[in-house]
Amino acid sequence: MFRLQGSKVLAVEMTGDAVKAKNGSMVAYDGQMAFKKLSGGGEGLRGMVTRRLTGEQMTVMEVRGHGTCWFADRASEINLVGLRGDKLYVESSNLLATDAGLRTGTTFTGLRGASQGNGLFTTTVEGHGQAAIMSDGPAVVLRVSAQYPLTVDPGAYIAHQGSLRQSFQSGVTFRTFFGEGGGEAFQIRFEGDGLVYVQPSERNTIAGDV
Amino acid sequence: MTLREVNSKMVEATVVPGQRLFSQRGAMLAYKGEVSFTPNIQGGQGGLMSMIGRRVAGEATPLMTVEGSGTVFFGHGGHHVQVITLTGDTLYVEADRLLAFEGTLQQGTMFMGSQGGVMGMVRGQVTGQGLFTTTLKGHGAVAVMAHGGVFEIPITPQRPVHVDPQAYVAHHGDVRNKLSSALGWRDMVGRGSGEAFQLELSGNGMVYVQASEEKL
Amino acid sequence: MSAYGAAGAAGPVVYDPMTLPVDDNVNKYTFCVELKSGQWFLQKGKMIAYYGAIDFNGVGHGRLDRLVRTSFHSPLHASDWVVAEGSGKMLLADRAFDVNSYDLDDGNLTIRSGNLLAFQPSLALKQSIVPGFLTLIGTGKFVAASNGPVVFMEPPVRVDPQALVGWADCPSPCHHYDHGYMTGVMGGLRALTGLGGASGEEHQFEFVGAGTVLLQSTETLMAEQATGAVPHEPGVPGGGVPATGRPQQPGAPRLPGQLGDLQRRFGL
Repeated sequence: MFRLQGSKVLAVEMTGDAVKAKNGSMVAYDGQMAFKKLSGGGEGLRGMVTRRLTGEQMTVMEVRGHGTCWFADRASEINLVGLRGDKLYVESSNLLATDAGLRTGTTFTGLRGASQGNGLFTTTVEGHGQAAIMSDGPAVVLRVSAQYPLTVDPGAYIAHQGSLRQSFQSGVTFRTFFGEGGGEAFQIRFEGDGLVYVQPSERNTIAGDV
Repeated sequence: MTLREVNSKMVEATVVPGQRLFSQRGAMLAYKGEVSFTPNIQGGQGGLMSMIGRRVAGEATPLMTVEGSGTVFFGHGGHHVQVITLTGDTLYVEADRLLAFEGTLQQGTMFMGSQGGVMGMVRGQVTGQGLFTTTLKGHGAVAVMAHGGVFEIPITPQRPVHVDPQAYVAHHGDVRNKLSSALGWRDMVGRGSGEAFQLELSGNGMVYVQASEEKL
Repeated sequence: MSAYGAAGAAGPVVYDPMTLPVDDNVNKYTFCVELKSGQWFLQKGKMIAYYGAIDFNGVGHGRLDRLVRTSFHSPLHASDWVVAEGSGKMLLADRAFDVNSYDLDDGNLTIRSGNLLAFQPSLALKQSIVPGFLTLIGTGKFVAASNGPVVFMEPPVRVDPQALVGWADCPSPCHHYDHGYMTGVMGGLRALTGLGGASGEEHQFEFVGAGTVLLQSTETLMAEQATGAVPHEPGVPGGGVPATGRPQQPGAPRLPGQLGDLQRRFGL
């Protein structure tokens, strides 16, 4: 059972069951816990090979035991996401923990990754259960529907779920008094039906300077 | 109480004549009234012995004495601040996590190694803070800094608590500490590294843990 | 109706354009601005998401000349600002710092340039005489960030320069040097060796008179926004010299966890 202790610590009560968590993110526990390193986030050999190819660095551990285990990572804000059969797309560096029963994989996301220096691939989480994702400051969850498409700064994007199409559009035209180029910034436009998680902060991006 | 949390990152101290306060140098944000700040070389009280102890310990966190009459606001580096009130017991805390504390508290240095063998060594290795830790004893309030805020885990005889040494902030009470390693943990992080161990705290008391594995 | 986020009480709050607040905070770190065929000035890089049809143009954009002439009097850092115009709702945030809006009613408020995120064009933005600060004059709303919530104080008060967000109405911010701290053994050592650096204890900004002082919990984490040099002419303090402020960490975006600068502070 996932529970937030404050906004930056995830407490998981375990009675013999297991969670998958970012390697080394355990800050404390009571009771008895056993830790196991998992090789790659995907399923079995295929997942591993995919990971090799994609270069997505996500080292995951499995924690199993009786008691409470507390997780945190660099004072990041933690957001709980409930999945009921749908798929969550999240930057691997923003995934803290998932129920052991959820399947994790990798998917190609195209340009966005490139603009973030995060690789072209994103982690997917699928199934029924809970996931904990991290953000710099608490995430704001925004709904996308047919009449309300959403535009997001790539540096503030952390995750989305549902059936969404993404496209790139140029953001700002910078022309200053001196004519010096601020260049153009990219934005991601989401259309379809789903939720987008944005953080109140921008990562170091190459293009998302709006 | 002399120290009051204004918000998660700032404390307010009331200074009255005859009651001094110690704070980390550079942590004063603003003040009202007639207040003086005097840097201490040897950090708080304790005289020569403490000074030598500190030299050895490498805990050269510069402190200053705050005296006078007025109100002082403290904060540092945007870190979260937590006020811990001591009622006669001893708080164990790394010196550079101290933001401010009341002059009524007795300051000392303790060799952590004496309490749990390898502990001190590994703590030192992990946190890079030497084998010594600061103790504060008596009655009074302490403002402690942490990365991302702290949460408390009670320690009871039935439920020892294991803490990642890098997330450990402070503890008080009648607590024994030693190093242990959970099943599988050492294989995961690598046997040689200092991270292979957890700080196991048992007895009766409270441990403060921060939401981050980063030291200040 | 969307199938997602109908999780009920247990799930996080899900916002759409109807439920997002109007010109108010979504949470402590995110502010929502509603545009109805209107305009706002934004500092570059502070918009994180928007619904609707909103255009962003650099302040140098020709079409905006008239607006800039009336509301923007700080040409030396014009390249840091954009004008958002159109209709919709947009979210503003800044490195997960606390964000708040302030209403001025025929008033004035001076703010550290790095802390200002956005303002309505009904306000005029000008460079303060104090280097590194900007003054907003008029009636309207602006949005500013701070490290930790802003604490409001009445003069007389002395403030560590690094903890100062800004001030309203106060006529006389001036420097105060703590004599006791500068002299004595440590002061002497510092004077001789230059070691130990400067901290708030020997030098403060002093405010007296009627007004309000805005204070944040420290300090060097907010990247200083270059305000550019003021013209080199007689009677202008700091003229011709770029206002670099204190020796700050460079304006590189802070990664999560990169807090504190104890090493620098302690001269290590």
